[in-house]
Amino acid sequence: MPIQSIARHQWRPHIAISVTLLVVLTAAMGWLRLIHYRDQPLSLTYGLPLLLCLWYPSRPLLWSLVASFVSMAAYKAFVLLPGDMPAEFSPALHWSFQVVNLLSVAVVVHLVLRSLESLQVKNAQLEHSNQELIAREEEISRQNEELQAQTEELAQQNEEIQQQSEEVQQQAEELQAQTAELELANRALERRQALLENLLQSLHGIDEAGDAPRRACESVLTLLGDAAVSAAIVVRSGGELVVRGSAGRIPVSEERRPLAGSLAAIVIEHRRTAAIADLRLRPDLLVPAAAEADGPAFRASLAAPLRLDGQPAGALEVYSDRPHEWTREQFRIVEWAAAQASLILEARRLHDRLLATNASLETQVRQRTLELQELVNELEHFSYTITHDLRAPLRAMHGYAGMLEEECLASLNEAGRNYLTRISTAARRMDQLITDALSYSKAVRHELKMTPIDPVRLLRGMIDSYPVFQPPNSRIELMEGIPSVLANEAGLTQCFSNLLSNAVKFVPSGVTPHVRIRAERSSNAVRLWFEDNGIGIAPAMQPRLFKMFQRLSKHYDGTGIGLALVRKVAERMGGRVGVESEPGKGSRFWIDLNAAP
Amino acid sequence: MTMTRQRPPLLYVEDEPDDVFFLRAAFRRVGLPPDFPVVEDGEKAIAYFAGEPPYEDRERHPLPSLVLLDLNLPLRSGFEVLEWLRSRPEGRTLDVIIFSSSGRPEDRSRAAELGASGYLLKPASGLDFAAIASELKQAWLNPDGR
Repeated sequence: MPIQSIARHQWRPHIAISVTLLVVLTAAMGWLRLIHYRDQPLSLTYGLPLLLCLWYPSRPLLWSLVASFVSMAAYKAFVLLPGDMPAEFSPALHWSFQVVNLLSVAVVVHLVLRSLESLQVKNAQLEHSNQELIAREEEISRQNEELQAQTEELAQQNEEIQQQSEEVQQQAEELQAQTAELELANRALERRQALLENLLQSLHGIDEAGDAPRRACESVLTLLGDAAVSAAIVVRSGGELVVRGSAGRIPVSEERRPLAGSLAAIVIEHRRTAAIADLRLRPDLLVPAAAEADGPAFRASLAAPLRLDGQPAGALEVYSDRPHEWTREQFRIVEWAAAQASLILEARRLHDRLLATNASLETQVRQRTLELQELVNELEHFSYTITHDLRAPLRAMHGYAGMLEEECLASLNEAGRNYLTRISTAARRMDQLITDALSYSKAVRHELKMTPIDPVRLLRGMIDSYPVFQPPNSRIELMEGIPSVLANEAGLTQCFSNLLSNAVKFVPSGVTPHVRIRAERSSNAVRLWFEDNGIGIAPAMQPRLFKMFQRLSKHYDGTGIGLALVRKVAERMGGRVGVESEPGKGSRFWIDLNAAP
Repeated sequence: MTMTRQRPPLLYVEDEPDDVFFLRAAFRRVGLPPDFPVVEDGEKAIAYFAGEPPYEDRERHPLPSLVLLDLNLPLRSGFEVLEWLRSRPEGRTLDVIIFSSSGRPEDRSRAAELGASGYLLKPASGLDFAAIASELKQAWLNPDGR
């Protein structure tokens, strides 16, 4: 706090009290000095009343009193006293003593008052800083309180968190418990699945017949644990029960036993699972003997029916060597195992039947194949002989016609010469038919060996060998970029020669054939196009084009085999053929082949 | 007959009389003696080579230096005749040309295996036997002319 404000707060003499004191003291002193002892000098000093200012600390009052007493002393010394006074006491000296006395007391009092005032200021300052300290302390304590409050809040939150954490912990424990339960259930399921798989595996024929029932018995015993010591799968055969498979610590005797009176007979008849807790209490039932025991080994039994081909035809029996009640769970296990065993037996039965059918089918197929092969061989020989034998008279016919024409032409009239030409033409055509038919049957029957072939080389060779493919007879254009193909060389030659021959043959009279050959390449196939300027083919005719003995025009020579041969050979080489055409606009034949690797 | 003495004679094994007729005509056309001997089946061909009756007279039935052998023959096939010939010392050096209308590759390769000297395809027309005759004239019957 600044000094001014401190000064403001310090003690101040009240003006009224000061004036009253001044008047009272002056009056009292005046009365005493000037009236009561007016004639004698008084030993009583003027300084004494000044001491009153130590009680009422006012310096204006002090100095007012000093002034008043100085003037009072002067008045007494110079006015009232002079006549009676000894000589040595001059008024001036008397007054001066009194003034000195007064001043010394006043100075002392003044100094005391000043130091008092400064003390008071310091005191006030101290007080002030004290107050500040107190204020700070209060502030600190307030902050402390706030901190305390916050701390308490934190503690509370902490507690809540603690509580939540406990809840989470509890939930985690519950989850863990559930997980453990699930795992347990899972393991049980896995065990069942493993057993089932084991059973199913035995269906795949590697095992000898009869192994699957044994496995079914093993699995049911595994699932039952110590509730059973033996299991058997029995099937009804006439009036007897036949053991199809068994397992267990104390195996059931494999011997046939009568159906009547057995637990199996009861479950077969009633088509439901049945259990006996103590076999001794049912002496009417026939219990099978154990394989390696003298006395009766089995004391309790549970049996479920087996269905084969939709009919109850047997039972899955389990036996225990001690009497006990059978639980619902054990019922369920045996019923489940009986269902699996039924399926397995059924599958086995169907499988065996299938195998038998397959075997007989295979024999049949082999026999038929042999017969067919024989037939094919015969036919081949037949067709070879036929064509061979047909050729000889044909050769003769054509030869004699030719000789007749050469040697006896002069003696023939116009009609005779015409007939002769027709005989020659017919013979040539017959020969062509035989050749084409032979090629076709060869394409159908023979294995075609595939090799990479350059079509351009093949086509060039063909064009160079036959004048019909050369100018001025025709113009055949091989475009750039024809890739190699995977094909049979003889087959491909046949295809090309037929396509080219057709292309140059079927043109309007007076038109020079023009054929363009180009290729389209896709990822692993090549399409070769043979585009001509020929007469074209009506769309309705196109589907018949590649069939045997189909001739679309009587005006052009042909056997009707060529394109059928092309199609057959292309298919044998893994390819296809087709055509795009319109009458009068030429034809565009294509052949798809495998690209060379 | 003077020609046959100077030039090794041809024996034609053929059952088709028309083919024989065409070959004789063709020989005549190219200026070869058309009177070569002919046997009609495989049995007779073997008897001819073996000199068995009725071919025991070598004056009348001399051994040929060239045989034109059809494949499709009665009794014994051309292949059997060829096989028999090649199994005999005197038949090993003889020129035997298969003359067949079969163009089957397996027949060609079988002929080569059995030791045929050549393989000629019968023409589709009897008129075209002339080409065969001139080929034979150049290749075998008239080696001096080359």
